[in-house]
Amino acid sequence: MIGSVFLETLKQTWKQMVYWGVGLAAMALLIVLMVPLFDMQSVAQLLESFPPVILAMVGIGEDLAIFTTNEGFVAIGFFGKSALIFAVYPVVMGMRISANEEDNGTSDVLLSLPIARAQVIVEKFLAYALSIVGVVVLIYLGLHVGVIAGGVELDVARLAEVTFYLIPLMVFIMAATMLIAILVRRRTVALGIVTAFVIISYMLQTIGAAAEGTVAESMGAVSFLTYYNAGEILSQGFIWPHIAGFLGLSAAMLLASLYRYEQRDIAV
Amino acid sequence: MASGSIIEIKGLSKTYGSGSKQTAALSNLNLSVNQGEIFGYLGPNGAGKTTTIRLLLDLIRPSQGDAKIFGMDVRAESVEIHRRIGFFPAELSLWEGRTGDQIIHYVASVRGDTRGIVKHAGELAERLDLDTTKRVRDLSSGNKRKLGLVIAMMHSPELLILDEPTGGLDPLVQQTFHTMMDEYRDKGKTVFLSSHILSEVQAICDRVGILRDGELKAVESVEKITNVEFNWVDVNFRDAVPAGLQQKLENMPTITDVSANGARVRMRMIGDFDPLLRAISDGYVESLHIEEPTLEEIFLAYYSGDKETS
Repeated sequence: MIGSVFLETLKQTWKQMVYWGVGLAAMALLIVLMVPLFDMQSVAQLLESFPPVILAMVGIGEDLAIFTTNEGFVAIGFFGKSALIFAVYPVVMGMRISANEEDNGTSDVLLSLPIARAQVIVEKFLAYALSIVGVVVLIYLGLHVGVIAGGVELDVARLAEVTFYLIPLMVFIMAATMLIAILVRRRTVALGIVTAFVIISYMLQTIGAAAEGTVAESMGAVSFLTYYNAGEILSQGFIWPHIAGFLGLSAAMLLASLYRYEQRDIAV
Repeated sequence: MASGSIIEIKGLSKTYGSGSKQTAALSNLNLSVNQGEIFGYLGPNGAGKTTTIRLLLDLIRPSQGDAKIFGMDVRAESVEIHRRIGFFPAELSLWEGRTGDQIIHYVASVRGDTRGIVKHAGELAERLDLDTTKRVRDLSSGNKRKLGLVIAMMHSPELLILDEPTGGLDPLVQQTFHTMMDEYRDKGKTVFLSSHILSEVQAICDRVGILRDGELKAVESVEKITNVEFNWVDVNFRDAVPAGLQQKLENMPTITDVSANGARVRMRMIGDFDPLLRAISDGYVESLHIEEPTLEEIFLAYYSGDKETS
């Protein structure tokens, strides 16, 4: 029946979604509550004293002014790092779409039922994507509670944009993980490749941002993290071409996954 | 599809690897299983039993050949076929964090008929003495296998494909399982049962296929395969075994595996009894015991390539 795997996946995942969401929301809440404790002019002077590579590592680009605002402080304090921490979640979920079930053997039971392989993949993908939305909503609630509880002056609409921008980024990471797992079949190998992919992307982004006008800068363009820049979103709002890029690539990887999963043997 | 055939396999092969590292898991399998029969699929580990079953379920794809179930191609029409079959995998894995009831509801919802299936699952669980309220991780391996059987049978499928289903079940549950299989046959349903428990196959199957190194060696009715032309013969003499008798028996072309122990001599014999009776007439024969070979021995005879016994 259509939707059975989707619902079961949500049932099996909602607790992890809540744990992750509450954890990240608590982190966001803490950062917001810290805003009144800092003098933003001092923060600006401090930032100017750092070499660009250090600033790039925490997600700060050339527009330092934006980071001397309350919103900028939250962007550095939370979004600069949270994307990397949060990236673990879609990796875990991407592995669950096929690799985990193949590794532990439950896919044999599931695929012996009257359901097409493609339907299993699509329903799981949608359920896990929805769980990513759930985590992001909880993060936003954490930020919002911080704003209200701490009486902090923040542009809530802009913070919402930065927060919800995480969704296409995380769906992209999940789609990449799913595709790699379907291509290589084995969970441990796939996990190694995905981890390397994220770390290398982080390094390319950091080096690229720190070395303007060099070859390294164009290498940074290869990193998917380059297209999630909290400072840019705070100053410009949603960058639709980037969002379309993440979602388009995710859809392409989903299609590639469906094709390959349909063609190959199910591992035991 | 042959008349009455539920499973029809033609030239099915499966190889892994390529070039010099290529290995054949299954070679040119031709087999048909008829409606209403319990077909036993015998072979040791690595013979290709699970490979055959995974090919039938479209979990893996053949290198050559094709297979049909209910006259439908196992690959092109797998969803429709799966609607009408129940499957129990040899290495059963279920969702560890879920309870038996949750898994039953999940499987039933995928099958699209929750109410009727769940009710029947409850009846099966009761027959197998299974507590479905426990999480899978808290179940013993025997109880996990009971849950696997419930999942395979709860929608009353037309065809059951069972891969080593009774390993780890206690004898009482095995007996219940055998009764269930008999009931299946009585209802005109079909069972394809892979096993290495030969006594079980002997007890419940109508026909047996013997697989070795990915090749089907024989397909016979259980009666016929049991009725091979060799017997174990024990001769008990009142006194000691007559001098020279063992040597004399060993020289006879129809007798092998001769062993003498005190007043008793045991041998494997094919063909007529007259040459043996003449040979032992030198001594006073107190008793003579003839024992038919067990399916295990027939099984081993196939594996050793012993042509004279098959």
